[in-house]
Amino acid sequence: MSKPDFVVRGLRVAVEGKEILKGVDLHVRGGEIHAIMGPNGTGKSTLASAIMGHPHYEVTGGEILLDGQNVLEMSVDERARAGLFLAMQYPAEVPGVSNANFIRTALNARRGEGNEMPVLQFHRRLVQKMKELSIDPSFAERYLNEGFSGGEKKRNEILQMAMLEPRIAILDEIDSGLDIDALKIVANGVNQLRSDNIGFLIITHYQRLLNYIVPDVVHVMMQGRIVKSGDAKLAEELEAKGYDWLKQELGIEDETVEVEA
Amino acid sequence: MGEVTALNPVLRVAQALQEPKAVTVRRDAAWKLYESLEVPRLEKTDLRRVAWEVGEFEPSDAPVPEAALGYVRELAHSYALVVDGRIREIHLSEEAKEKGVVVTSILEACDAHPEIWNRHFGTIVPAEEAKWTALNMALFAGGLFVLVPRGAELEQPVEVVYVWTGRTFSACSRSLVVTEPLSRLRYAETTFASDGGRFVNSHVLEVFAGQASRVEIATADEWAKGGIHFVTRRAKAGNDAEIDWVVADTSDGQAVETIESALVGQGSRSFARVMGLGHGRAHVEITASMRHVGRHTESEISMNGALRDRANVIFRSCTQIEKGAIGAGSEQHDRMIMVDGTARADAIPMLLIDENDVERCGHAASVGKIDPLQVYYLMSRGIPQSVAVQMIIWGYLRDSVEALPSDAMRDLVVSRVERELAR
Ligand SMILES: Nc1ncnc2c1ncn2[C@@H]1O[C@H](COP(=O)(O)OP(=O)(O)O)[C@@H](O)[C@H]1O
Ligand SMILES: [Mg+2]
Repeated sequence: MSKPDFVVRGLRVAVEGKEILKGVDLHVRGGEIHAIMGPNGTGKSTLASAIMGHPHYEVTGGEILLDGQNVLEMSVDERARAGLFLAMQYPAEVPGVSNANFIRTALNARRGEGNEMPVLQFHRRLVQKMKELSIDPSFAERYLNEGFSGGEKKRNEILQMAMLEPRIAILDEIDSGLDIDALKIVANGVNQLRSDNIGFLIITHYQRLLNYIVPDVVHVMMQGRIVKSGDAKLAEELEAKGYDWLKQELGIEDETVEVEA
Repeated sequence: MGEVTALNPVLRVAQALQEPKAVTVRRDAAWKLYESLEVPRLEKTDLRRVAWEVGEFEPSDAPVPEAALGYVRELAHSYALVVDGRIREIHLSEEAKEKGVVVTSILEACDAHPEIWNRHFGTIVPAEEAKWTALNMALFAGGLFVLVPRGAELEQPVEVVYVWTGRTFSACSRSLVVTEPLSRLRYAETTFASDGGRFVNSHVLEVFAGQASRVEIATADEWAKGGIHFVTRRAKAGNDAEIDWVVADTSDGQAVETIESALVGQGSRSFARVMGLGHGRAHVEITASMRHVGRHTESEISMNGALRDRANVIFRSCTQIEKGAIGAGSEQHDRMIMVDGTARADAIPMLLIDENDVERCGHAASVGKIDPLQVYYLMSRGIPQSVAVQMIIWGYLRDSVEALPSDAMRDLVVSRVERELAR
């Protein structure tokens, strides 16, 4: 299989008629980890949601290509089957649908008809991955995210990623609300998947996570644009000097997305 | 006892069934009642256009439709097969035989078990209650009598499979189930109906749960188009008895259904789970009712519905706490989702409380559409939209389906629901 190749070019996105992303460019290849940092309200989740095809987000310009295919023409499920995965900041709760059933249906949808994973093999794999992520076995039969704590939801997102083995994985604030032990487990889950067959886009507003998952490229997002890119040192610099330092350097007063009336 | 004076249609039924005279006397009185009773005004179902026609009773020897036959052949527990009101077959499991369970025709039980029959028959769902209960008493073609002796605990269910073929008369059947003290029964009624002419149909179930006995009543109805179907199922609880309902309704056509627990005995309890799937142009009204009479009685009602097409489904959960029912506790939850924007759902919670000393009394009702963010989430993992929607709807319905007492019944309801969701 060829290395994944993911391109975002000049992406503009509006929510409820307001333009939030004002031209975003990215190029992520298999084997690379890109981090997107930035304060709250700068458009990071909007970028992730637009890539996945969230119904509230309207792409008003630019393009998204996965392995040369036009992602914007695909429905949400087609995007996932093409290899995109988004670990969501706020995943939905679905009562009555068990975690295991959900993951199995998703996995088999991705593998395609006639190529379904045998039930026993699926369960062995699920149990194995759950163990690696220190997830309680009872999770499998619990209803999808219903009554899960914040940390449990995050780990469940990583579990799904580990089971589905996407080509491009986007993790939106996967570290928020996690204590240090949980953070290490989640980081370990990501590092185990690391290979030339997968590219990562890791969204966070703290540098903390990046101590455990060392990125190749760091982008800083402000006002709905990527305002600076660098290597892992940029994250350390931000940690040491804070976002205000960068704002001053770039002459930005309000880093959040300003919306013209 | 009075003289039998009516001609048709009661006489027609009575002569065809060669029943005990005591039954015919009841029919006769009930028929007069049926004819004299006003057509009631229902809030959600317009009865003005109902043709109160009953057709002409004929003992049916119609062949059993393939679907029903296949279903019955799969049953591993005790069952009775009732076609157009007449018993075709009764099968008792070894367990039921060993434990002395009686399963027989309700007409034969009049002579065979006179004491119990006289004590309960027509007292739990009396003919006088409504025009359609009077109709049922007048014209019921048959049904079962089930008796579980004192202390007998039955693991496997006893199921009555009702089959209604294309008919020339009203579909009316009634069964009586009695559990003696400290016994346990899982009782089920499953209906297979063909499109049903233009008649008024009325089905009745009476259950008496003796002291500290436990009865689970499961129903899987699928009434068909044509005519109107009235269904009245009621269970009366003795002291410390427990009555649990699992209702899985996938009816088409027009139906007005009631399940009710009369919590007469002190410390009795009841839990009703209702699952309804409306489809086509079905107009189905289901009332789940808990009547608290005894002290320290407890009840819970949980209703879940999903609606497609132009279906109109009304869920009414009704808790009544009578004066003197001190220390009663009750809960209600209704949730309905409209899969198609053309469907109509009504969730009506009702609380009628005449006693001040009530333990707790909660209710919650919601009617909504499928949450697009749930659909998005499932799709974001590669699941196609139609499958995602089905999974979410199943999420609403599955608790009730899983509570059904046998694999056969679960499979049947799953296939009925899937048939409507997969379209
Ligand atoms: N669903 C939405 N509806 C309305 N406004 C939104 C929505 N999502 C994002 N926004 C707006 O877009 C801007 C960027 O939000 P977001 O992408 O969530 O930022 P971040 O993830 O960087 O904190 C904010 O001003 C926010 O109010
Ligand atoms: Mg965000």
